[in-house]
Amino acid sequence: MEIQYLNEHLWVGQVGNVFVILSLMAALVATISFFIAQSTKDVSWENIGVQSFRVHTLAVFTVIGLLFFMLANHYFEYHWVWYHTSSTMPIRYLLSAFWEGQEGSFLLWTFWHVVIGNVLIYTAKNWRPSVMTVLSSVQFFLASMILGIYIIDFKIGSNPFTQLLREHPDFANLPMFANANYLETIDGRGLNPLLQNYWMTIHPPITFLGYALTVVPFAYAIAALWRKDYRGWFKPALPWAYFGVAIFGGGIIMGGAWAYEALSFGGFWAWDPVENASLVPWLTLVGGAHLIMISKNKGSSLLAAFALIILSFILVLYSTFLTRSGVLGETSVHAFTDLGMSGQLLIYLLFYLVLAIALVVWRYKDLPKSKQEDHLWSREFWMFVGSLIFMISSFQIAFTTSIPVINKVFGTNMAPPTDPIAHYNSWQLPFAVLLLIVMGFTLFLKYKKNEFAPFFKKIFIELASSLLLTGVVGVLLKLQNPFYLLMLFASTFTVLGNLSYINSVLKGKIKKAGAAVAHVGFGMLMLGALVSMSSSDTISSNTSGVDVSQLGDDFSNNENILLLEGDTLPMGGYYVTYQGREKEGIYVRFKVDYLKKTENGYQPQFGLKPFVQLNDRMGNVPEPDTKHFLTRDIYTHVTYATLDPPKTQDEGFKELKVETLAVGDTAYATNAIMVLDNIFRGTGGKELGLSESDIAITARIKVFDFNTKTHFLQPTFVLKDSSYIVPVPAENESLGLRVSFERINTENGKIDLKIEESKAAKRDFVIMKAVIYPYINLLWLGAILTVIGILFSVYTRIKTSKA
Amino acid sequence: MKKSHIILIVLIAVAIGAIVGSISDSSTYADFDKAFSNPEREYHVVGQLNRDKPTVYEPEKNADLFTFYMLDNNGVEKEVFLTKAKPQDFERSEQIVLIGKAKDDVFVAREILMKCPSKYEDGTPEETPAKASI
Repeated sequence: MEIQYLNEHLWVGQVGNVFVILSLMAALVATISFFIAQSTKDVSWENIGVQSFRVHTLAVFTVIGLLFFMLANHYFEYHWVWYHTSSTMPIRYLLSAFWEGQEGSFLLWTFWHVVIGNVLIYTAKNWRPSVMTVLSSVQFFLASMILGIYIIDFKIGSNPFTQLLREHPDFANLPMFANANYLETIDGRGLNPLLQNYWMTIHPPITFLGYALTVVPFAYAIAALWRKDYRGWFKPALPWAYFGVAIFGGGIIMGGAWAYEALSFGGFWAWDPVENASLVPWLTLVGGAHLIMISKNKGSSLLAAFALIILSFILVLYSTFLTRSGVLGETSVHAFTDLGMSGQLLIYLLFYLVLAIALVVWRYKDLPKSKQEDHLWSREFWMFVGSLIFMISSFQIAFTTSIPVINKVFGTNMAPPTDPIAHYNSWQLPFAVLLLIVMGFTLFLKYKKNEFAPFFKKIFIELASSLLLTGVVGVLLKLQNPFYLLMLFASTFTVLGNLSYINSVLKGKIKKAGAAVAHVGFGMLMLGALVSMSSSDTISSNTSGVDVSQLGDDFSNNENILLLEGDTLPMGGYYVTYQGREKEGIYVRFKVDYLKKTENGYQPQFGLKPFVQLNDRMGNVPEPDTKHFLTRDIYTHVTYATLDPPKTQDEGFKELKVETLAVGDTAYATNAIMVLDNIFRGTGGKELGLSESDIAITARIKVFDFNTKTHFLQPTFVLKDSSYIVPVPAENESLGLRVSFERINTENGKIDLKIEESKAAKRDFVIMKAVIYPYINLLWLGAILTVIGILFSVYTRIKTSKA
Repeated sequence: MKKSHIILIVLIAVAIGAIVGSISDSSTYADFDKAFSNPEREYHVVGQLNRDKPTVYEPEKNADLFTFYMLDNNGVEKEVFLTKAKPQDFERSEQIVLIGKAKDDVFVAREILMKCPSKYEDGTPEETPAKASI
């Protein structure tokens, strides 16, 4: 008999599914209508297109609204709600929960496209039908990603309105569903604690807006090829392209900031495949945007502009495919799982790739070619070179990141480079150097022909002062790697060159300074990246005083320090002490204080609380804590800690072991290393109450603790009246260590040493890594300046084009 | 020769260089047999933790040394020296990818990637105590 389940809210899903289908159909109708409108110039078709896109907009907003309603009310009868939330989840994580899964992130992407589409409907004028055809077709594909239907065996989309018990294959026939009121007993899995972080609230929408913005120049480029209006698209597409550069770039750097603050690899960029996947389309977009500008002002570089703009959108799709298909599974720590939609994504990607290539090939003969070559000393030539550097840099990253895909396609068995950071840096550093030098002087060139001598005179001072600064800073930072020095020079030159451009050429006309400000920012960003990473100082390295190099060269990469609770150790100009832990919910925080030694003893400077998040979904996740100063950051990360602190109530000693030692031999205790320094005839017989006939032998033992302090212990072995033995043990209270001289072997001079440890001595400890990143604020400041500079130039461009 | 041709040639040369560079920098997935017969090369070795043998981490001696035994996908067992702190949750790992090279009888790993079962697995609902009544 069918069970009548209680308290379910199935109407939400039913309504939702109607709107999912409606959004798909409306996008299809819009695509077709705009297509006919463009082909026939029939305004009534265009109106149908506009109306359909409005219906599509309404449907998408309704779907999103219903999903938020379901999340906020904890309707666990829906698999998607059950999977991403729980009844105890704080409401402020509602947004993060929404885009944690694929369905939500596709909807976020769709949402931005819808917003953009509605702006285009008002601004695209005579480009409207053609551009909206492209955008509506993209919307059709995106809407299908949340469809969740099967055609034969091929699953199309993953539907967020799937019911937990009826439609989800994993959960059918679970015994709990025999209970008609199962909703009373069920709670959601909850949002992955790793994403319960404010970065996860702001980083995804910005990044997805960046993704979404690549569609606009792409749609214009396709429309231009379609309409054979090869030049008319520059003007409307240019502000969109640069807006995309700013937002997309901002999203990437936010990802870097999140990684730096919350992830444990140390640094803001690790060349992780997922990071690379987002960087690659951004690089081509930057190249493409500059090429549009050259084409607009000069008429050359047309083909390259088409290629890079089209490529940016295709690469956004490829990047989605890489991160969502599970193909990166073994190479990345944060690749997503496959929801069985990689085939669909691939079809989507190939459709636009083939369409774009076919259009370009078809129109190739028709494309206007510039008759004369660009002059060597002209702005357009060096902008072109710069754009190509962006392209080749993107190609190199894309190729190495695609190794798992190459393996799949060609059946090879390549693994990614064993040291990805060194691999990518070895290619990207030279690219960056060339690019920054080009960026430093290009603005000083006018479009068309320039004379070399007056141009060189303009940049001479900047060149000379950059060289001088490089020398000074290079010596101060002890930079020896020639590439780092070149990079230092190049980024300084970009900053100085563009500052001087604002000052001398623009004479402070701030309206036109957007580009130069963005270039100054980019130079600072690169400078900050170079200095903070190349001069980063791992201050936690090998302060333990325990020589481990005896284990061989392979063990020299000491970057961790052992800190016992209460101990104070010198570290990088500070003294550092571990003050114990506090547990708060799923967080175990380790209190680490940094002190300075003064005449009045240790003065606390600041405290940090790196923590471990007890996450039963992802495994326990450590998160560093960083102290920010104006000129440097101190990054502190607990790499290892026992999660159950040792008990300290016990008293007394327990025997650890008995070691047989000769002079010079070493024995290990839990928190100390002992070396038998000497054996001598004991003195101080009086204190021990010895008579003349008694023999006392004392062992002098040098004890190294992990605070690099040296202690001495002198246990004595007493032979009383030549007949019975009385060992007199020696103790060190602070180390909780007791040693007794048990026996002496008269033949080889070895002694038996009993080592005991205080039961209370097993103190809590953490293994910690601390790194100083100097001048990393240059990087953040540079990134902000870059974004502001670009946005400002977009703003002035829109304003002047309207005037 | 036109400037655009020079640029094109340079571009193609750099692109080929990038492909060659990427392939030559790429590592190889290998088993222990291969890694131990080429001790001078770094490999990616995939395998599983041998849970019957001890794992040793003594931070008081060396915070950057963690040793354990791993079985590669052919079932060959080797002792592994990981020259880093013991990863959190190591025991939960289902699959391990080591990056490093063979040295004498041990595999010295510089880097480790772990896959934990729960990370990717789809959970099934469990009955939990009734929600707080509203």
